[in-house]
Amino acid sequence: MAKLKTKIKAEPSLAQIGKLVAEYRGQKWALIPLFQVMQDEFGYIPPESIDLIAKALGLFPVQVQGVISFYAQLYTKPQGRNVVRVCRGTACHVRGGKTILKLAKQYLGLEEGETTPDYEYTLETVACIGVCALAPNIVIGTTTYGHMNPKKVAQLLGERKGRE
Amino acid sequence: MNLEAITITLNGREVSGQPGMTVLDLARESGVAVPTLCHDPHLDPVGACRICIVEDERSGALMASCVTPIAPGMVINTESPRVQERRKTIIKLMLASHPDSCLVCDKGNRCQLRKVASDIGVGLVEFQRIPQLATIEEVNPFIERDLSKCILCAKCIRACQELVGEGAIDYLGRGFASKPATLGDLPLEKSECTFCGTCVALCPTGAIMEKDKVYTGTTTTTVHTVCPFCGCGCGVYLEVKDNRLVRVRPDADSSLSRSTLCVKGSYGCDFVHSSDRLSSPMVKVNGNFGVVSWEEALGVVADAFKRIKETHGSSSLVVFGSSKCTNEENYLLQRFARCVLSTNNIDNGSRLYNAATHVGLWETVGCRGTTNSFDDLERSQVILVIGTDPTSSAPLVEYAIKRAVKRNGAKLLLIDPRQTKLVSWANLWLKPKVGTDVALINGMAKVIIDENMLDKECVAGKTTNLETLAKDLQEYTPGYVEKITGIPSDDICHAARFFAKAGRASIVYGDGITQNINGVGSVAALANLALMTGNIGDGRGGIYALQMENNAQGACDMGTLPDFLPGYQGVEDAQARKIFEARWGCQLPVGVGLTALEAISGAEEGKMRGMYIVGENPAVSFPNSNLVRQALESLDFLVVQDIFLTETAKLAKVVLPVASFAEKEGTFTNFDGTVQRIRKALEPFGNSLPDWEVILRLATTMNSSMPYSSPQEVMKEIAELVPLYQGVNYAKLDVKSYRLGKGQIASEKMKFSPVKYIPQPSPEDGYPLTLFVGTTLYQFGSGSRTLRASRLRKLLPEAFVELSKSDSRKLKVKDGDRVKVVSPTGEVAVLVRISDTLNQGMVFMPAFFPEGLVNGLFDIVLDPRTKAPALKTCQVRLERIEGDG
Ligand code: SF4
Ligand code: SF4
Ligand code: SF4
Ligand code: FES
Ligand code: FES
Repeated sequence: MAKLKTKIKAEPSLAQIGKLVAEYRGQKWALIPLFQVMQDEFGYIPPESIDLIAKALGLFPVQVQGVISFYAQLYTKPQGRNVVRVCRGTACHVRGGKTILKLAKQYLGLEEGETTPDYEYTLETVACIGVCALAPNIVIGTTTYGHMNPKKVAQLLGERKGRE
Repeated sequence: MNLEAITITLNGREVSGQPGMTVLDLARESGVAVPTLCHDPHLDPVGACRICIVEDERSGALMASCVTPIAPGMVINTESPRVQERRKTIIKLMLASHPDSCLVCDKGNRCQLRKVASDIGVGLVEFQRIPQLATIEEVNPFIERDLSKCILCAKCIRACQELVGEGAIDYLGRGFASKPATLGDLPLEKSECTFCGTCVALCPTGAIMEKDKVYTGTTTTTVHTVCPFCGCGCGVYLEVKDNRLVRVRPDADSSLSRSTLCVKGSYGCDFVHSSDRLSSPMVKVNGNFGVVSWEEALGVVADAFKRIKETHGSSSLVVFGSSKCTNEENYLLQRFARCVLSTNNIDNGSRLYNAATHVGLWETVGCRGTTNSFDDLERSQVILVIGTDPTSSAPLVEYAIKRAVKRNGAKLLLIDPRQTKLVSWANLWLKPKVGTDVALINGMAKVIIDENMLDKECVAGKTTNLETLAKDLQEYTPGYVEKITGIPSDDICHAARFFAKAGRASIVYGDGITQNINGVGSVAALANLALMTGNIGDGRGGIYALQMENNAQGACDMGTLPDFLPGYQGVEDAQARKIFEARWGCQLPVGVGLTALEAISGAEEGKMRGMYIVGENPAVSFPNSNLVRQALESLDFLVVQDIFLTETAKLAKVVLPVASFAEKEGTFTNFDGTVQRIRKALEPFGNSLPDWEVILRLATTMNSSMPYSSPQEVMKEIAELVPLYQGVNYAKLDVKSYRLGKGQIASEKMKFSPVKYIPQPSPEDGYPLTLFVGTTLYQFGSGSRTLRASRLRKLLPEAFVELSKSDSRKLKVKDGDRVKVVSPTGEVAVLVRISDTLNQGMVFMPAFFPEGLVNGLFDIVLDPRTKAPALKTCQVRLERIEGDG
């Protein structure tokens, strides 16, 4: 699935959602493109949209929910402008990934899957991102930062702590 | 089309099959066993579990046989060493993530996972176990889920979406964490789930299980029979141990229900074990019932009937047959009434709503009921649903409608003032004012004629009287109809085009049509619509008259009617009379008998003296129940034959206990005319006897024995003497159910029948609200059985009335307040429920609350033609009960 931008807008109204969904009426196959457009537009897929999407596309609401839950890249909550993904794959794990995650949590004041109230940061974990040679790894937005250690984490995210 | 057969080699043998068959289909057809877990013939294949793999020896490829179509030249081995090895691995992986609870799991040896594992020879699992999800807390009384036992076969999900059309569950999450879940991962009772039990029956493991069972244990016998509740006629298996029902499960091979049931069929049949069951005949002495022997009870009944017949004449005797009893029993009962009691005063409860169909459809399309098969309904391109909420009254039909819409792209045209569940499936939803259906249908018919959308071939070749109809419809212009119905004229035109332009358009109607004051007219108006668009008979749409009870159609077919001998042969029809008289060796009574309600009025006036009520509960189910009760009390003699001491039975002099549907043999005829066998799974409760046996014994006690020794013999005679049932016999029925054939449709031309819209009498001042009475999914009829089903009872709310938000504001009542519902006939106190399914001015009450609660509000207003009462709507007002809320 294509990479998804994340951006933040004010919570969309039902009317806004409805307008977007209306363009896909009756097109069952269009579920994924619709999700992408929606996430582009709102930064996430508002749960209130599930019923509307289901109705417009002739699906059951649970089917829509099921597809959303299948893709890690689809969010049902607004995401921060910077999505921080700490790798929890095996290679990263053996090289201290756990500590990296602990530090990231501390600096951001977040648990996994959470977003800061100002929508600046979202913290997530991923399984192996495919650059094990650089383990342990952190990805922020689309940039990968390899050979992580506590000092580097502080450089990347420490500023955030200062602002708290 | 004769497609070329495809030949493949299967385990070294040449076999051939039709294109489109899968390797699995062909293997099974050839008697080769292949294990499966996620495959089901009624569900779209997904190829999820891979246990059905086979090897193509040419390429060495392993493939899932349930999703691989056969191709010429395949050389398939279903048991090669590689196949066996791979199957073992698959099963081991499944077991690795499965809890070690087989010994205590209630699925027991019905578990397909366990069976496949042992067939393949997998026991202990050496894989490391994967931690599992916990059991989900559910408070509903029907279903519990332990998804740690889930093998992700998706049968439950497909069953719910593809067969039932509910869409309550789908996968949530991915990988190991995924599982079938409801929207928002809530418990089932907070989801769309209707507890139909289909997923429970199809789950191969113990992940979805029946809950709160009354009796557990390992089934020792399994008996195939038919659900005893609504008129859909779902096939069920009763699993029995120690003369107790262990479980009811759907019949996967039923041509009607195909693995589905509704909550009543799945979880409501245990009323047969209710402690309220009558076990012995009873005779009332000084106001108290005393237990007596069958001989004594029947002796009292026989004496009373003889005495009344001698002193007051046969015409003072009345018999009520039952739409819940079998065809054979109804046949015997009407013979008993006609030959032994010498009266045509015989009726059955279903005629109250069915008569409009018998007359209305007969006079137009020449049918006594539903014109097309249930299967045809699903093939319709447009389905018009009017005057029924099949979601609660005929669930199987609702499933079919939803499947037609979702899977075949049919369009639903819904006509209902209430916002029922089907609304979300409708392409067009019209909300006519109450009682204006005829005007609306006439309006649509006029548009069809004016815009020249008639099926000319059908009209010219098969019908008469179009000119008269067209002339009569002149006044029903869209503008005029808009004024009457409140539906915008554009919508009326739109609906008409929508209906007329479909190649196959079907009409589904229920008691909302037949129980109106002009029931016959409403049915005929619908028939006009079907006729002018050619939607009658094979290959086209049809008219579907829904039935409330399991054997409503059959009871009428059998002639438990005051005006018809069996098979709708008139009581005055000389030829029919001759045939029956010759066979029965008796003189048939002359003249049309009294209908049930006429007989009740007669009793009140003292003209009726003795009554024999079989399996009906008029003290609750007839309008103006107070009056009915008084009438029954005033009889010289009342005998009631039932499985429970119903409100009616309490008024009787003699009560005869009978066997339930699970305790006897016979046949039921469902709403589309399918005749099916019901079979004995349990011994009759206590000293009860099957109805047919009671009737025979009573006839013998009255010195007029009837020469039958089994229901089978009765059916033999029916098939001989009733043209409609020609060809029906038990041997055939044991192989396959049988849909009554062409006998239904008249050979002569069909006839358009103009129908005038008759405005409802304007409501008396002071009763501004329209009360609807209807069914709810979890209760049935007057509730005498479902209120005694251990789990359905748990969902029983206190008696309530539903009203719209705006009315509640006007009346200053809120949810849970107590109000009085007052009609010109009676009043009842109930709780308020606010509902967004109702418009201002409408209130709703379910029909099932006992004590004749709801029907006490209705006056006896009869359809002029059929003398059936209007029992669907009446005018009421609500009064706040002060000091309450
Ligand atoms: S019980 Fe019926 S409605 Fe409920 S989840 Fe199962 S199949 Fe769906
Ligand atoms: S719950 Fe049962 S039917 Fe549903 S996916 Fe799991 S194993 Fe299959
Ligand atoms: S009540 Fe009707 S729909 Fe439900 S299982 Fe019985 S026959 Fe089928
Ligand atoms: S394990 Fe972290 S990148 Fe592979
Ligand atoms: S039965 Fe064929 S893949 Fe499951």
